[in-house]
Amino acid sequence: MIRILKLYKIFIVQHLKKLMEYRVDFLTGAGSFFITQITNIVFISIIFNQIPSLNGYLYNEIIFIYGFSLLPKGFDHLFTDNLWIVGWYVVRKGDFDRYLTRPISPLFHTIVETIQFDALGEIAMGLILVIYSSIKLALHFTFINIVLLIIAIIFGALIFTAIKIACAALAFWIKQSGSILQIFYCTSDFARYPITIYNKVIRGIITYIIPFAFTAYYPANYILRNGKPLYCIGGVVLMSIILLSLSLIIWHKGINAYESAGS
Amino acid sequence: MIKVQNVSKEFKKVVKESGLKGSVKSLFSRKYDIVKAVNDISFTVAKGEILGFIGANGAGKSTTIKMLTGILTPTKGEIEINGQIPYKNRKKYVREIGVVFGQRTQLWWDLPLTETFTVLKEIYQVDDARFKKQMDFFNEVLELKDFVKSPVRTLSLGQRMRADLAASMLHSPKVLFLDEPTIGLDVVVKSNIREAITKINQEEQTTIILTTHDLKDIETLCKRIIMIDKGTLIYDGSLLDMKNKFGKFREINLSLQNNSDINMLRFKEDLNLNSDDFQIKSNKEKITVIFNSQKIGVSDMLSYILTHTNIADISVNDVNIEEIVRRMYK
Repeated sequence: MIRILKLYKIFIVQHLKKLMEYRVDFLTGAGSFFITQITNIVFISIIFNQIPSLNGYLYNEIIFIYGFSLLPKGFDHLFTDNLWIVGWYVVRKGDFDRYLTRPISPLFHTIVETIQFDALGEIAMGLILVIYSSIKLALHFTFINIVLLIIAIIFGALIFTAIKIACAALAFWIKQSGSILQIFYCTSDFARYPITIYNKVIRGIITYIIPFAFTAYYPANYILRNGKPLYCIGGVVLMSIILLSLSLIIWHKGINAYESAGS
Repeated sequence: MIKVQNVSKEFKKVVKESGLKGSVKSLFSRKYDIVKAVNDISFTVAKGEILGFIGANGAGKSTTIKMLTGILTPTKGEIEINGQIPYKNRKKYVREIGVVFGQRTQLWWDLPLTETFTVLKEIYQVDDARFKKQMDFFNEVLELKDFVKSPVRTLSLGQRMRADLAASMLHSPKVLFLDEPTIGLDVVVKSNIREAITKINQEEQTTIILTTHDLKDIETLCKRIIMIDKGTLIYDGSLLDMKNKFGKFREINLSLQNNSDINMLRFKEDLNLNSDDFQIKSNKEKITVIFNSQKIGVSDMLSYILTHTNIADISVNDVNIEEIVRRMYK
């Protein structure tokens, strides 16, 4: 474990150096991310100002769910963004060879090579929205509430990671799985809103099949509607463990099916 | 040290009809072909040996190396290296091997070379004393000092290859795999790399397996070679034996002032050569004569050609490996 943290530190330091090496790109990235987030805020407030309540959810409650949904997504985005390039290029071009000839887990190696600082914006935005709406709703948090929400964020992020690992691993068979990853990743947008607004099919899918509802709606419901912690928070933990195990199995099978590329 | 037994690797390949229409069609109904990239290969390598792998492009050399390094899983057969099975105990196994793919760098593209070594030091858990010793050794044999501070992307191919070689050796592996380590390099760098490989082999008794298209690499480095063609092992033995059997052919490249002069070259009649002993290939202006130098000396052959034709340009070469492979396979 200490070794893993040490390696992680080294990779992150290298990544920072790389970012500094391409200063212009780094600054543009950081700048454009702020612009995106500001546009998002404006957009949300315009939309929700027109809708005082949605299916029994008040404007500020919707903001809470929306804001909370950005947290697990943001943390996953921060740490595991490199999985995208596995789906798009690394396997197809045979560059995955490199990860396989090193004495550390290829999955770990792939993931730690990048840290996506753009995600800090998502996280900051999420925190701002959650805090803002909590104040407006006069929510009262106990210590246990906060601990459980943090657990929900960590395991919610793992749900994202698991789905990304599984989709990226498909590239080992079909060579390029970026678009599949994109489709799955985009379904998480459904989870930004109270899922009661959807019909049964969509609700079932985002609760039990691609369980993004557990990354925002259920944990938020635990606070907003006094949902049962066993279901609302336990569900996140259970789902993420199941998904993560499945995706690791797929990943390892994928590595055995890896065909490299001609050189 | 290395035991390879009846190893095969098959790839499933989509058969596509040509053109956009074919591509669209293959989206809906796919036909697969099973391609045998490597077919039932067996051999063993002893500790400290340098083994050369040769064969034409697409013969299965790289696929074999990738199976030996644990990147690919063989479809059939068994591989055992250092008492380990590459594709099973991968993480533990790769700690004891070094890999260089000439076509593809292992270095971090955006980082200065020194940083790459720092990261590798951590990954392989090389201690400080060992690290320093290795770096001194590399500086001596590979002359890394001049460019160790530059980002990898700014290195020339020759510098990059030297850096790659050093990176693969940092953790003092017991086996070193070099897939075309001299590809695209100029003569000076090539010989520099060869010297380094020899020193590495002597210094640490490292077992080395290398693939190449350059006969000179093989000559300076390997006592033993394995030749593969179309996935099958067709020769396993010493370089000397192979040369005696197949390498006695030489090649003369010439262009004529008058192309019809080619008809004046009647090796069979004038020089008493069998049709096995020579071959004439012509490609527009460029003519290649391949002949058995044991039947007729190079100087005799040259003077015969010079007296019978008007030459615009002429050169004498060793027959390249592909030609030897082709002849062996016949």
